[in-house]
Amino acid sequence: MNNLLYKELRLVIHPFYYLTSLFAALILIPYWVYFVALMYFLFIAIPNIFTNAKAQNDTGFSVLLPVKKSDVVKARVTSMAALEILQMAVAAIFVAISVAISPKGNVLIDANLAYLGCGLLLYGLFNLFFFPMYYKTGHKIGIPLMVGLTVFTIIGGIIEVLVVTVPAVAKVLDGNTPSALVSQIPVLAAGIALFAGLTWLAYRMAAKNFEAVDL
Amino acid sequence: MEILSVKNLKKHYPQFDLKDVSFSLEQGYIMGFIGSNGAGKTTTLKSMLGMVHKDSGTVSMLGMDFAQHELEIKQHIGFMFGGVDYYAKTKIRTITDVVRRFYHEWDDSIYQKYMKRFALDDNKRPSELSSGMRIKYSLVLALSHRAKLLLLDEPTSGLDPVARDNLLELFQEFIEDGERSILFSTHITSDLEKCADYITYIERGCIIESRTKDDLLQAYRLVKGTSEQLAPLQARLIASKSHAYGFSGLIKTAELDPGDRLEIEEPTLEDIMIYYAKKEGLNE
Repeated sequence: MNNLLYKELRLVIHPFYYLTSLFAALILIPYWVYFVALMYFLFIAIPNIFTNAKAQNDTGFSVLLPVKKSDVVKARVTSMAALEILQMAVAAIFVAISVAISPKGNVLIDANLAYLGCGLLLYGLFNLFFFPMYYKTGHKIGIPLMVGLTVFTIIGGIIEVLVVTVPAVAKVLDGNTPSALVSQIPVLAAGIALFAGLTWLAYRMAAKNFEAVDL
Repeated sequence: MEILSVKNLKKHYPQFDLKDVSFSLEQGYIMGFIGSNGAGKTTTLKSMLGMVHKDSGTVSMLGMDFAQHELEIKQHIGFMFGGVDYYAKTKIRTITDVVRRFYHEWDDSIYQKYMKRFALDDNKRPSELSSGMRIKYSLVLALSHRAKLLLLDEPTSGLDPVARDNLLELFQEFIEDGERSILFSTHITSDLEKCADYITYIERGCIIESRTKDDLLQAYRLVKGTSEQLAPLQARLIASKSHAYGFSGLIKTAELDPGDRLEIEEPTLEDIMIYYAKKEGLNE
């Protein structure tokens, strides 16, 4: 498994895509839809990494190695999840900067710990839809990507609307004062747990789908 | 000891069926796997390696059931489907650095030896190599982890005659110690005449013959005669071709009758393939 992860880093993921995490700097824009900052990873890194792997016949290469098919899937899901975690870690830095420099907050959800928790949930949901659909073929990315992005956008949109229209939701998710941030810790923890759970489920479903594919 | 055994392998596709494919290979021999394009050679190899899901049948390699010991078996076999057709713009050195980590018995000295012998420069990228060189690199990867069994899909196609001959010599060297074996598919039958001990012949998903090359060649005869002689012989012939001076056809040696008064020759593997293909209606 470690060898397959090494293969992902050495052959599949161009180091440039680590830099897409810097799109988290968009969190510093005042009064904006902060979930969009997390979507650049899905707009740029995911499609490029997957189409590059396809163009380089990565699957053809991987099946020549003494590995299980499910481990090929596990390595890819793990490496993409690692990039998502990197994206969230960089986002956390910009959230901290945002809290320090713009105490007034945002019209929509603030850049705060609940935002990070929700972001992790959205990535988890994207993974849950994208990976199992993609691994039905192991090479067609268009529809899985569109479905994943749509789910991300709709659920992200619903969270934003609820934050603006339902005071009870706003109380839990909004605000960037020190006391609000402390009260959001459980939301972040839930986000981390959901991201881990959904991504694990995505891997299990994707591996099952890929097992059935004739290469 | 049987190093490879395939029993009753079946795979159904809407347009094609692999029907009850069975054959086996002993340690220390080279088996040629022949058949025309689309006969099922690659599908058989892929089904054996679990890349294509077989509907039924069993495959064992190195004395172990493939389905149960896939990873262990893959550590000790080498297989390739054509040349290197992946990571065309990545340096060979980088590709090797990734591949070597996967094998417990990877031997860098073997790798260096064959890279030197094939005049392969690992600073190059696959896209800079000729198709023959790509096949050689692919073979180096298979050899460097001390594989006991090589399964090669068309390793000689695309190579010039000199490179093919070198490769066949290498195959002979590989099995010399009597412990290693090679199964390689090809449609270049002259390669097999040079180096194969056994021949397995597949046509339209069916194994037609699987035996030693000499037995196979002895089992058939090429016969020539006049047009008048053709009609009574037709039922015994596998297939025949008519021409201005009469006919030529393929017949099982056992079916020959001295009273036929035909011109009899030993066929080549190519003759056997061509007449069987004609029988199957493949070259109509």
